Amino acid sequence: MEEGISNMNERLLTQRESEADFVRKRFDLAVLLIIFLATVAAAWIHQQLFAGDWSFWIDLKDRMWWPVIVPIATICFPAAVQAALWTHWKFPAGATMVCFGLLLGQWLNRIINFWAWAKFPINLVFPETLLPQAIVLDGILMITNNFVVTALIGGELWGWLFYPSNWPMIAPYHVPVEYHGQLLSVADLIQYQYIRTSTPEYLRMVETGTMRSFAGGVLGVSAFFSGFISILMYFIWWYMGYFFAKPIYLKAKRI
Amino acid sequence: MPVERNAIFSIEVPEKSAFSLKLPLLGIGLIFFLNTIDYVYQRLFAFTKGLDYSTQQYQQYWMSVLYAELIIEALIALFVVVYLWQTRDRNLENLSPAEELKRYWIWGSFVLMYAFAVFIAAYYAEQDATWHQTVIRDTSFTPSHIIEFYQSYPVYIILGLTFLMYALTRLPQFAKATSLPLVILVASPLMIFPNVGLNEFGHTRWFMEEVFSAPLHWGFAIFAWGALSLYGVLVTVCPRVYSLIDQVYLGAEAPSASIVIENPEACINPLFCSCERNALPNK
Repeated sequence: MEEGISNMNERLLTQRESEADFVRKRFDLAVLLIIFLATVAAAWIHQQLFAGDWSFWIDLKDRMWWPVIVPIATICFPAAVQAALWTHWKFPAGATMVCFGLLLGQWLNRIINFWAWAKFPINLVFPETLLPQAIVLDGILMITNNFVVTALIGGELWGWLFYPSNWPMIAPYHVPVEYHGQLLSVADLIQYQYIRTSTPEYLRMVETGTMRSFAGGVLGVSAFFSGFISILMYFIWWYMGYFFAKPIYLKAKRI
Repeated sequence: MPVERNAIFSIEVPEKSAFSLKLPLLGIGLIFFLNTIDYVYQRLFAFTKGLDYSTQQYQQYWMSVLYAELIIEALIALFVVVYLWQTRDRNLENLSPAEELKRYWIWGSFVLMYAFAVFIAAYYAEQDATWHQTVIRDTSFTPSHIIEFYQSYPVYIILGLTFLMYALTRLPQFAKATSLPLVILVASPLMIFPNVGLNEFGHTRWFMEEVFSAPLHWGFAIFAWGALSLYGVLVTVCPRVYSLIDQVYLGAEAPSASIVIENPEACINPLFCSCERNALPNK
C-alpha cells in the first residue's frame, strides 16, 4: 500500500512539474511578445521623428546626409535594448530584434499606406535596412561581453556598414540622367514626378553644403563621421537602457 | 532545505484555463477589428469627403467621428479607473500564491494588449506621413489625425491606465510602494497625447511643413523613450512570478503577500525569492 501511495505521489509530482513548465512557457511567451511589440513601437517612433524623411524617400538617400543621420539616430534603441536584455537575461539578439521589427513595421506601412493608399511608387518609398550592422553589433557584444568594446568597434562599424549594406538597393537610383537639359539622378527624377505637398524644395536636404565641391571621397567622410558619432550615441544610450531597466521603488509611501 | 512531498500537494493549484490566451487574444482581436474598420473608413471617405475642412461633408463624415471617439474614450477611461479602484482588493495581505499568480497573468495580458496598441499607434504615426505628403492640411483634425492622435493614442492610454490601476489595486508588489518604471511605462507614452497640442500649435503658428525630423516633432520621440522602462517593470515582476510558479506547483518557499507588500524591493532580488527547484525529496 505504501508503494501504491508512493507511485501516486510520483505521478502527481510529475504532473505538477509539467503544469509548472506550462505556466512558465506561457509567461515566457507573453514576455517575449511584450518586449518585441513595445520596443519596436518606441524605436519606430524614434526613428520616424529623427531620421524618418531619409527613410521615406529615395531621393533623400544621398551620399552625405543619409549615411550620417540614419545610423546616428537608429543606434539609440539597439544600444538601450542591448543594455537591458544582455545585462539581465543574456539575450544576444537585442539589436537584431529592434531592427527586424523596425523593418517589418516600415514595410507594412510603405505598402499599405504609401503605395496602396496614396499611390506613391514603392521604389520611391522603400525603407533602408539596418540588419547587417545590427547582427554585427549583437555578435560583438555576445563574443566580448563588454559594452565598451561593443561601442568602440560595433558603433564604428554601425556607421561604416550602413551604406554598403544598402548599396545594392539604391545603386540604380543614383544613375545620372539628363532631363530638360539638367543633370540629375534617377531618384531626383522620381521625386519630381511625385510631388510631396509638405516638403517643399527649400527643405529638401540632399547633398547640400561645401562637401559637394570636393572632387570625391564624400561618402567615406560621411561614413567615418557617422561611425564616430554612433560610438558616442552607443555609450549614452547604453546608460539610458541601463537606467530604464532598473527596478526602482520610490521611497515615499503611496497616499 | 528539502521540501516535504505533503507540502507540495497541500497548495492550491490554479486550473490551466487561468493562463489561457483568450483574454490577450480577445483584446488584440478587438484592437485589430477597430483598426480594420478605420482602414475601410479611411479608404472610403478620406479622399472623397476629407479634403476640405470647411465643407459640410467634412463635418458629417470626419468631425462627427472625432467627437464620438473623444466622448467614448473619456467615458471608458473614467469607467475603467473608477471600477478598478472601487473593486480593489481590501485584503491583499492574505492573498494566496495561486490567486496572486493568476492575477499576474491577467495583468500581463493587459500589458500585452498595451504593447500591441502602442505598435498600432506607431503604425498610424507613419501613416500620417502619407497623408501629409499627399494633401496640404487646412486643419489640425485631418482624416489621418482623427484616427492617429484621437483614437490610436487614447486606446493605448486606456490600456496603460488599466494595467496600472490593476497593479496598484490587486498586486502586492505595487500596493504600497511606487514602482518608478511602472509609472514611467504608463505616464511617458501617455504624455504623447498632450504633446499633440504643442505639435498642432507649432504647425498652426510656425511650421506648415511636415518634415518628420523637424525639432517640433521631437517631443513625441522623447516621450516614446519611456517605453524602455518596460524592462524595469519586467526585472521587477519576473523574479516574483517565477518564484510563485515554483511555490504553487513545486512547493518551494517564497515570501508571502504581506511580506511583499511591506518590502517589495527585497522581493525583486532573485536570491530573496530563491526557490529550491532541486530540493525535492530523492532528487
